[in-house]
Amino acid sequence: MLVIEHLVKDYPGKVRGIDDLSLTVKDGEFVVLIGLSGSGKSTLLRCINRLIEPTSGRIVLDGIDITAANTTELRKIRRNIGMIFQQFNLVRRSSVLTNVLTGRLGYVSPWQSMLRHFGDEDYGRALINLDRVGLRERAHQRSDRLSGGQQQRVGIARALMQEPKIMLADEPVASLDPATSHSVLKYLQQINREGMTVICSLHFLSLARAYGTRVIALKGGRLMFDGLPSEIDQRRFKEIYGEDAVEVEIQ
Amino acid sequence: MSTTVGPPAPPVSSRLPRSVDDVTGRSARAILADRQTRSAQIVRLLILLLSIVVLVRGWAVTEIDLGKLANAQNAGPILKALVTPDVVGRDVTQTELRVPFQVGLASAQPVSARTPTGQSLTVTPGAAQAGDSVELAGAGFEPEGEAQLRLDFGTGRTVLLSRIPTDTQGKFDVEIAWPGANTAPAGDYFLQLQSTAPSGPLRASDTLQNALGRIGETILLALMGTVFGVLLSVPFSFLGARNLMGGSKVGMGIYAVVRTFFTITRSIEVLILGVIMVVIVGIGSFAGVLAIVVHSIGSLGKLYSEAIESIEAGPVEAITATGANRIQTVLFGVIPQVIPEFLAVTIFWWDHNVRMSTVLGLVGGGGIGYLLIQYIQLLQYNQSATVLWMIVAVVTAMDYASAAIRSRLV
Repeated sequence: MLVIEHLVKDYPGKVRGIDDLSLTVKDGEFVVLIGLSGSGKSTLLRCINRLIEPTSGRIVLDGIDITAANTTELRKIRRNIGMIFQQFNLVRRSSVLTNVLTGRLGYVSPWQSMLRHFGDEDYGRALINLDRVGLRERAHQRSDRLSGGQQQRVGIARALMQEPKIMLADEPVASLDPATSHSVLKYLQQINREGMTVICSLHFLSLARAYGTRVIALKGGRLMFDGLPSEIDQRRFKEIYGEDAVEVEIQ
Repeated sequence: MSTTVGPPAPPVSSRLPRSVDDVTGRSARAILADRQTRSAQIVRLLILLLSIVVLVRGWAVTEIDLGKLANAQNAGPILKALVTPDVVGRDVTQTELRVPFQVGLASAQPVSARTPTGQSLTVTPGAAQAGDSVELAGAGFEPEGEAQLRLDFGTGRTVLLSRIPTDTQGKFDVEIAWPGANTAPAGDYFLQLQSTAPSGPLRASDTLQNALGRIGETILLALMGTVFGVLLSVPFSFLGARNLMGGSKVGMGIYAVVRTFFTITRSIEVLILGVIMVVIVGIGSFAGVLAIVVHSIGSLGKLYSEAIESIEAGPVEAITATGANRIQTVLFGVIPQVIPEFLAVTIFWWDHNVRMSTVLGLVGGGGIGYLLIQYIQLLQYNQSATVLWMIVAVVTAMDYASAAIRSRLV
């Protein structure tokens, strides 16, 4: 269970990124974060694994206070939190296999990784996860040779190597075409059905309705809506996205 | 009322009016000129005036005198030497020719001799009295060399009569006045001509061989300097990259110290470092290597740091998110991204260091510059030209090769 209490993130000289946000995510939920660009979706996701340091407030995952953790503790906490990104964030020149294996770095001792050494079990996990995303054949290709959708699947495999309890996804399909978007989200849905909590920011409400079990809308860093995808009607939509917004469908 | 349709109006751009403002009739240029402030115009004028003053002052201070260039007397031999570098030569051997000669007779048939290797001497006439004029002609000797003419008494005793210079084709044709009876009383003698002559096939001249050896030394000097420069600068370059060190006060402190260190080592020119190193370890290539190393640390470190700063941040963020620590993040997120750029920078810098190494010899730092300064000081322009062309050839080749390799890497 992920508990967020009075989270605040101030960017120096800019507006407040997150403004006193509190929410609880239960195990096994597929939470879709929606909101305009700059509404705080990315900031919220990055505060959860402390890629961004929160200004104040608490984030507690399964009873462990993430915000209070020191460097060593944070490393262990991050192993439990997978993350995928809009730009996939693979190391382009490294092979698919190497990119997937890097998901294991939180478990490997720094001295072992100096020699770029991973254990047999890690190679076993890499094989399983490459199979899961259907990219076993591509293991030894350079990752920038893959299409966008394939690269995002490598990103998912890398995150799965962590054997995380929770998966964060920051606009995972914003750089992909509609067909590929569905295929990537189906992998996330599959992972979610196997029991992993997913928190995923999306731009398209239609995708939120199709995949989310819960929708959280942010506006100006504040909670605007928290409920079932089906509860977002025309009025709520205008509240979240502004009066002039028109909903665009993605099939 | 007719409703004829006229030709379509021309597009707007083709009927721009000369005067834009209907009331004042002012042109667009005049209207836009108003947008410039008066002070900006004055500042521009001042900068122009100041530039002219500085250039005039510079002309005077540096004593620019184009007349000197037109009347340069030394330019001729140097330019001539540039197109006739000393690159091929033959072995040189001692030769000796002997012809019989009678002293005390008024006249006789000319006498001549020839060696198996092609040198010849003809003496006309074959006899002489004191004060007579004797003509000596020869060919096949070393060009621009010297021959010694000796009188052989036949008893093992010889007397030097004359030193005869040879021309550019290795020939000579001179007349000498026969000395008096004090030197050579009447009787039978031999005239002996000792000289040097080229022999054997054409081969690389000694100068070319020296230059080849020294240019090889120069390339290796640059290589050793680059290798140690790389080894010392790569570790520091990670500490001098803002994207890796930012985020904490300690990190930014280390960053500032490393970058300052780079700037200091980079700011001292190679030649000055060469002078210092020669004082420390003595004349020779080692001093040159040390100078190159110190100079390279700063420049390579800066270039490497900038390469690290230009990487994509995304993969580093993603690897940090997996729970990797800082060292692991660098190993798996940074190094794979910077390898091509690092290689390109290193090859470029080796190429640059070869150029630097060619002048290090001028201050005793080894390499081909050492040879060049010796030839120049001895006024051996043809030999200097050989060295210069060697430098041009190697630097051009390195430049081309390094560009070709870099274009494949990046």
